[in-house]
Amino acid sequence: MKFAYYPGCSARSTCAELNEATHNVAARLGLALTHLDSATCTGARELRAIDPVGFHTLNVRILALAEREGLPLMTVCNTCTLNLLDAHAAFVAEPELAAEVNARLAEEGLHYSGRTRISHFLWVLYEDIGIERLRQLVVNPLTGLTVAAFYGCHITRPPARYGFVDSRNNVALERLAEILGCRPIDYSGRTECCGFHTAAHDERVAIKLTGQHIKSAKSNGARTMVTPCPLCHTVLDGFQREIEKDMGEKLDMPVLHLPQLVGLALGLTPEDLRLDRHMVKTQAIASIPSA
Amino acid sequence: MVSDAPVIAPSSPLPVGDARRLGQIEQHDTLAARNSRLAVGDLLTVRVRRFDGTAELQEFQVPYRKWMRVLDALNWIADNAASDLAYRWFCGSKMCGTCAVRMNGREVLACWEAVEPEMTLEPLRNLPVVRDLLVDRAPFERKVAELEPWLERRAPYPSFPEPLSHKDMKDASKALDCIGCMCCYSACPVIGLGDLTDFAGPAPLVQLGQTALDPRNHDVKIAHSLARTGIFHCVSCYKCEEVCPAAIPIVSQVIEPLKAKAAALLPKMAKHPRALRAVVALRGRVDPSALVLRVQGWRVLGNLPRALRLLVRGKIDPIKTLLRRKTSAAAAAARLLEGKGRR
Repeated sequence: MKFAYYPGCSARSTCAELNEATHNVAARLGLALTHLDSATCTGARELRAIDPVGFHTLNVRILALAEREGLPLMTVCNTCTLNLLDAHAAFVAEPELAAEVNARLAEEGLHYSGRTRISHFLWVLYEDIGIERLRQLVVNPLTGLTVAAFYGCHITRPPARYGFVDSRNNVALERLAEILGCRPIDYSGRTECCGFHTAAHDERVAIKLTGQHIKSAKSNGARTMVTPCPLCHTVLDGFQREIEKDMGEKLDMPVLHLPQLVGLALGLTPEDLRLDRHMVKTQAIASIPSA
Repeated sequence: MVSDAPVIAPSSPLPVGDARRLGQIEQHDTLAARNSRLAVGDLLTVRVRRFDGTAELQEFQVPYRKWMRVLDALNWIADNAASDLAYRWFCGSKMCGTCAVRMNGREVLACWEAVEPEMTLEPLRNLPVVRDLLVDRAPFERKVAELEPWLERRAPYPSFPEPLSHKDMKDASKALDCIGCMCCYSACPVIGLGDLTDFAGPAPLVQLGQTALDPRNHDVKIAHSLARTGIFHCVSCYKCEEVCPAAIPIVSQVIEPLKAKAAALLPKMAKHPRALRAVVALRGRVDPSALVLRVQGWRVLGNLPRALRLLVRGKIDPIKTLLRRKTSAAAAAARLLEGKGRR
């Protein structure tokens, strides 16, 4: 099974462990990943707000690179996924925009015809690997590990893009966690926002919002949190010290990237998954498998 | 502790091939579908948060009748069990926007939501509770008045009909669908943080969008309003879109176009987006250190302890940040974002 792989900026910098883990897990799953070397940033939330044409051009260019390879595109970041899906939808819906973008891409011999399938790693597990196959691949069930799934926003919202009336009913991560042997727990933060998108200019919002979510996960018995988005991970894990300071209490909540949780159940080692690169220590989780 | 944890248990066998739509069952969960689970005469358990919004829930048993809405249950309680129950409604048909409440934790219009066998009804968040399910809309109204959401033309009215196309009015027309129900204002996590930021919130921004996204409006007037919105504190979580009963794409067709206007008219407000654009144009990708340096300037020194911790874990790489590599992604971004927005 072949995919063009788009890690996004975060998995290439602050969350490089996600990139490494994804490669190792993909190998275990039989996914061959092709890199799109000249792929740029999708523009995060900021570019799409202030420069719609630039935003669409960058995203459609990434889709065109995948189309040139004749491959579906796999992402590991919620916001990149939504940006690409939105740009694809606008490209299909607005012929004038499509022509303008393609004219700009033509300068480097690229063209997009609207055929690239965009899929997040979470969806690839369900739609391409399949649940039965995944079940067979679990050699190291994470029995007894209580997991709080933190979806983040852009993999379930906006409702018009994903077909949910109420994204709080999404249970894709919980069901996946069960297949891996974990016990998913319910808590108030599941589909709430981590506040990442304003953190570069004002961290206080991210710290206040995310503090409530981690605390809820902890008080409902989670030993770890798991997220499909490196931006959420940056706040949940990277800001946890500041969050603890703000709340005046210790949280000590390890936060795994989704491929890391999957990788542990597939028998990869904590080293393969770079669990050492987290800000909050993950030893307690790493010792679960084969224990 | 762990054994008592509430567990999310799948109620049906795992569907294969639709991970991105595992919540979609809700789409068919319309009034009729939900009501079909109930039979006339069934007793609903309705718990209502009463008095000042902090009191214990008061429980009522309400007999189900066909096509029953949340509003019908409230009316039954007021008629039969608690004549002092305070709640607000007027049109009963999704137009007036006065009957919004929170049902089982989410914002709904009482007049357009099917009852559930077990319902907890609470007042909207982020507005003062007057009594029971009644909230005071004054903070919203004050904010809207402050934003002066009216239209001042660039030139005198030409003649009728005005030269406007549906494309010109695409975004404003979405904002004009607002019924002012405050569901989004209650769902907004940033508004939930109170005075921490000066963010105006989704509902006031939609009110502003009705005129600020109208092409007839004067830029000076729009800039004057936008300066008071704190709009770049929106975290783009789409919670507002999730609950909007009028299905307004609040983030993508109201707040983002308003942000674009703010970036053009008041570039200082848009320091973060403009910095991101510049970093991407220069490097092809976001280098988080470069972005934070650009946005925060010397303020970044306040974050030195975290920077050191990130450095220890190899999460930031100052050398890479300083010695910017010339990549093919950087060349592409430079060409495609060239010149635009580099104010």
